[in-house]
Amino acid sequence: MNSDVQQVTNFFNTKRLRLSIILVIFGLAYIGASIGLGFQTQSLLNVQAGIAWLIHNFIPNEASQGYWNEIIQQLFRTFIVAVASTTCAAVVSLFLAIIGAQTLTPAITVSWVIRCLSSLLRNIPIVAWAMILLFSFKQNDLTGFLALFFMTLGFLTRAFMETIEDFGTEKIQALQATGATYLQVIFQGLLPEIAVALMTWILYMIENNVRDATLVGLLTGTGIGFIFNLYFKSLRYGAAGLVVLSVIILVVAVELISNLIGRLLS
Amino acid sequence: MLTVKHLAKSYDGEKKSLTDVSFSVQPGEVTVIIGPSGAGKTTILRSINQLIRDDDGEILFDNTDIRQLNRAQLRQARCRIGMIFQNYNLIEPLTAIENVLHGCLGTKSNLAGIFSIYRNREKEEALKLLEKVGLAEFAYQQCRNLSGGQKQRVGIARALMQQPKIILCDEPIASLDPKSTITVMDILRDLATNDGISVLINLHQVDIARSYADHVIGINNGQVVFDDRIQALSDTAIASIYQKDANSEGSVVHEF
Repeated sequence: MNSDVQQVTNFFNTKRLRLSIILVIFGLAYIGASIGLGFQTQSLLNVQAGIAWLIHNFIPNEASQGYWNEIIQQLFRTFIVAVASTTCAAVVSLFLAIIGAQTLTPAITVSWVIRCLSSLLRNIPIVAWAMILLFSFKQNDLTGFLALFFMTLGFLTRAFMETIEDFGTEKIQALQATGATYLQVIFQGLLPEIAVALMTWILYMIENNVRDATLVGLLTGTGIGFIFNLYFKSLRYGAAGLVVLSVIILVVAVELISNLIGRLLS
Repeated sequence: MLTVKHLAKSYDGEKKSLTDVSFSVQPGEVTVIIGPSGAGKTTILRSINQLIRDDDGEILFDNTDIRQLNRAQLRQARCRIGMIFQNYNLIEPLTAIENVLHGCLGTKSNLAGIFSIYRNREKEEALKLLEKVGLAEFAYQQCRNLSGGQKQRVGIARALMQQPKIILCDEPIASLDPKSTITVMDILRDLATNDGISVLINLHQVDIARSYADHVIGINNGQVVFDDRIQALSDTAIASIYQKDANSEGSVVHEF
């Protein structure tokens, strides 16, 4: 009996020791990184001064109210680019995901190529996409659209492919057993089953792209990102603050709407 | 009607899942395949409509070897072979009537099938079949809201929509409660007796086989060890169907 109790005590001691070691490793990593970067921990104590400056300058004032018109116009434009790029990418992604998913692919090489392509598209940061595309397409909405399109294509292809693979082969086989063709199986069996999951991914991606579109606009000189940059650089901080506020409102609104649609679907 | 000769299948190229399986199925009869788990029952059933590609043998359905058909011909053959599953495999977000109508996809053009363009004759047939399996009032219910027994009956209606000569049933009652089991088995029995359809069923339950089967095929370790009328299924025969092979029997004795 006693030895059993001892064993439990030992178990907890070992567990505590392991946790302590992990915490020490984290601590050492922080100290090492601070020294390496020349970061002074005490400077964190001055953070509140910086925040106070931000609040003082970026809170929209009387003067910045006059910018609403322009901001809403640009915000709408950015929103449209985000939605358009997501939906266009979703259509192409669905096609790629169907012929790329291991359960439905016509040839395993096709699946492999699509996997690589989607991984490549997805792993180039959105900023890099925008800057690369700037060379060919210059500063306009199309550049932003394409940057978002390619990144979304990579992401959604992967997400859709996993959704399709999770769906499994049993139901596909059941329809094949009736003599249905490949396309009939996809439209009558696969799509009705995964429609809700696809919508959820698309809504998530629209949310994400509304945020990203702001950043991309900053680089491509279009939409809400551009006027943020403009106000900021011309020291109109109040107006810039208003832009940030409007983006937050838009993103939250999109999130709420997408939650609502999600609930209605399921 | 259906004759299987020397069927063989191995999944990994080494261990044989089926070795030389031969049997035949008569029209208007319920034929039950019994045997322990992993004996190869499912493999046999799925080879018949080539959901699983077997390695060797012959599967004669209406005097043509299903194994030799090209894709288009295989689709034609599958149209006349209904199938129901342990997990029903219905498209759950769709309604019962839509799932039943899936049974005639094989006879439709690609586009008509994709856009659910069904003929009036087909719609009438689907409603009639739902009535036959006792689900007329559930026609517009999403299948995800149906009970297991109801789902299986939709599955049967889907198979019947194919106007099949044979229905393959892969453990059709393994997930059902006793009451639904009887409903489903009664329907299958009726299809054989009154509609002249061959019904081939994989089963675990010997007692169910006794009440419903005309003919029994016993499978053990990928081989046919019993092939006779139900009346000949003695207790000794059952014991031999379910016996473990010599090696594993030894280990079972040690476990207990």
